[in-house]
Amino acid sequence: MSDTSRRKFLAAAGAGTAATAVVTLSGGAAQAATTRTKGAATEPVVAYVQDPKAGVLYLMVGEREVIVEDHDLVARILNAAGGR
Amino acid sequence: MSSHREAPEISKDPVADSTDVYAFVSPDRPDTVTLIANYIPLQAPDGGPNFYEFGDDVLYEIHISNGQKAEADITYQFEFHTRIRNKFSFLYNTGPITDIHSGTWNRPQFYSLTRVEKGRSKVLAKNLECPPVNVGPRSTPNYAALAAQAVHTIDGGRKVFAGQRADAFHVDLGSVFDLGALRPVNHLHLISMPDTTGVNSVQGFNVHTLALQVPKRDLTRDGNLPTAVGSGKSVVGVWATASRRKSQIWDARTGRYVGHGPWKQVSRLGNPLFNEVLVPMAEKDLWNARPPSKDARFAKYVDHPELAKLLPALYPGVFPNLAAYSKARADLNAILLTGIPAGVVPGFQNFTGPVASDMLRLNMAIPPSANENPLGLVAGDAAGFPNGRRLGDDVVTIELRAVAGLTLPLVDTSFTPDGAASAIADGTTNTNAGITGTFPYLGLPGGGYQTVPGTTAAS
Repeated sequence: MSDTSRRKFLAAAGAGTAATAVVTLSGGAAQAATTRTKGAATEPVVAYVQDPKAGVLYLMVGEREVIVEDHDLVARILNAAGGR
Repeated sequence: MSSHREAPEISKDPVADSTDVYAFVSPDRPDTVTLIANYIPLQAPDGGPNFYEFGDDVLYEIHISNGQKAEADITYQFEFHTRIRNKFSFLYNTGPITDIHSGTWNRPQFYSLTRVEKGRSKVLAKNLECPPVNVGPRSTPNYAALAAQAVHTIDGGRKVFAGQRADAFHVDLGSVFDLGALRPVNHLHLISMPDTTGVNSVQGFNVHTLALQVPKRDLTRDGNLPTAVGSGKSVVGVWATASRRKSQIWDARTGRYVGHGPWKQVSRLGNPLFNEVLVPMAEKDLWNARPPSKDARFAKYVDHPELAKLLPALYPGVFPNLAAYSKARADLNAILLTGIPAGVVPGFQNFTGPVASDMLRLNMAIPPSANENPLGLVAGDAAGFPNGRRLGDDVVTIELRAVAGLTLPLVDTSFTPDGAASAIADGTTNTNAGITGTFPYLGLPGGGYQTVPGTTAAS
C-alpha cells in the first residue's frame, strides 16, 4: 500500500460515527517498507478476506469495521496465507 | 416455544437467545409502559457452580418503532460487565449473600442502560447491580429482598431490572414437537393415543430478564401522552435483539474469545412463535439477523402458514374448512405483520403502517384490564395480546386458534371456522411461579436447592 493510499484509508477509518466505512484505494505497487502514520490503529485488528476472488478486505478494529478495496493488498495477503 | 431455541444457530448460543418479549401498560402505573425481554432459555435452577448470567460480550437491545416505518426510532441498550471478587475461590459465593453489595458474592454483574433516539445516545445509568441467581436458602436466604434491591429507579420516571426470574411462558413442548400432538385431543391425531392433560414443559425453569418501565411519553413520537385509541401516534412496535461482535478470536493466552468489529444482530424477537413456527428452518438463522423492516420476504410464510396445512393432515376430518381455504391469510398478516387496522375489531386498532414487519404492537391508549383474560383480544380483552403482550397471556392458545382459522372471519366473512378452531389448546395452564403485582412482575426464580428436577421416561 502506498503512503498516499494508506493515508486515505486511515482517514476514512477514523471518520464518522458509522460502524462501517468503505474505502476504495488507488492502485500502486507495494512498497517494501510502509511506515505507520499518525492515525494508525493501536488496537488489535482482525482482517478478513471473505471472497478470495474479490479485492476486498474487511478490517475489524474496536467496534468498527473498515472495508478496503485494494486488489494488491488482498493479493499479498492471499499469497502470505498460501505460504508465499 | 415462544422463541426458546427457535433457530439452529442461536440454539447454540443461549446467552444471546431471546425467549420472550412482553409490552404492556403497567397495571399499577398506567401512565407507564413495561417492556420485558427474556434471554437464556430453560435454566435449571441448580445449574452451578457457574450459574447463568448475561453475556458481557453481548449487546442486548429493546427497540421501539413509533414512526410507522417499522424502524427502530428508539432503542434501549443494556451492556454488562462482571467482576470476580475472590480470584482464589471456585465458588459463586463464599458465604450467604444477604445484600446485592455483599462481598460474599464472588461474581457480581453490573450493567449500563443507554437510550438511543435519532442516532443520539444518552447513557441513562451506569454500574447498575444485577441480583445474584437464586442459589438456595443458605446462599441467597432472602431472595425476594435481593431481587427488590436490584430494581433501580432512574431519571425520567423510569425503572429498570436485569437479572434472573421465573419464566412466565407455558407450553407443552414435549407434545407439540412430537408431530404436532395436543394431548387433550390425542385420540384425534393421525397417530392416535389416549387423551391426557397437557404438561407445562417450562415450569420450574428460569430465564434472565431485562425489564424496563418508562413513561408512555418516552415512547411516543411527539412526546405526548397517548389518549386516542384511533390515533397512529398511540401505537408502538416493539422487538428485542441481541448482538455479538462480528469477529470473535480465540485468545489462548486467556482461554477466552475476544470480540472485534461492529455489533451484529444474532437474535431477534417480536411476536411470540413467529420465527419458531412460521419461518422455515432453512431461513430461521437469516431471520434472526435481519430487522423487522426487511420482513417482506417472510410474508409468504404468514400468508400461507405451514401449520395451517399440517393441522388438517395431522387431525383428519377435524379441520375441513381450514383445509379447503387456499387464499392468503389476511388475518394473520394483519395480526403479525402490520397490526390490525381500524374497522376490523370495533373500537380497536394497532396498525403501524403498511411495512410488513414482525413487531409486537401496543396501543398505549388502551388502559390495563381490571380482569385480564389470558386469551386477550380474541376474548374481548383489548389490553392483551396481540395488543402488546402481558405476562399472563396464553399466546400458544391464541396463535394456535388463529392459525386454525378462528380469526379469519374478521377479514373474510365467507369463511366459517371449524368447530375445533375455538377449542384446540395444548392443555397447559400457567403453572409457573406466580406473577407479582409490582415491577418487574415476573415471578421470583426457582432456587437451586429448592427446585426438584422432573422425571425422565424413555418409553
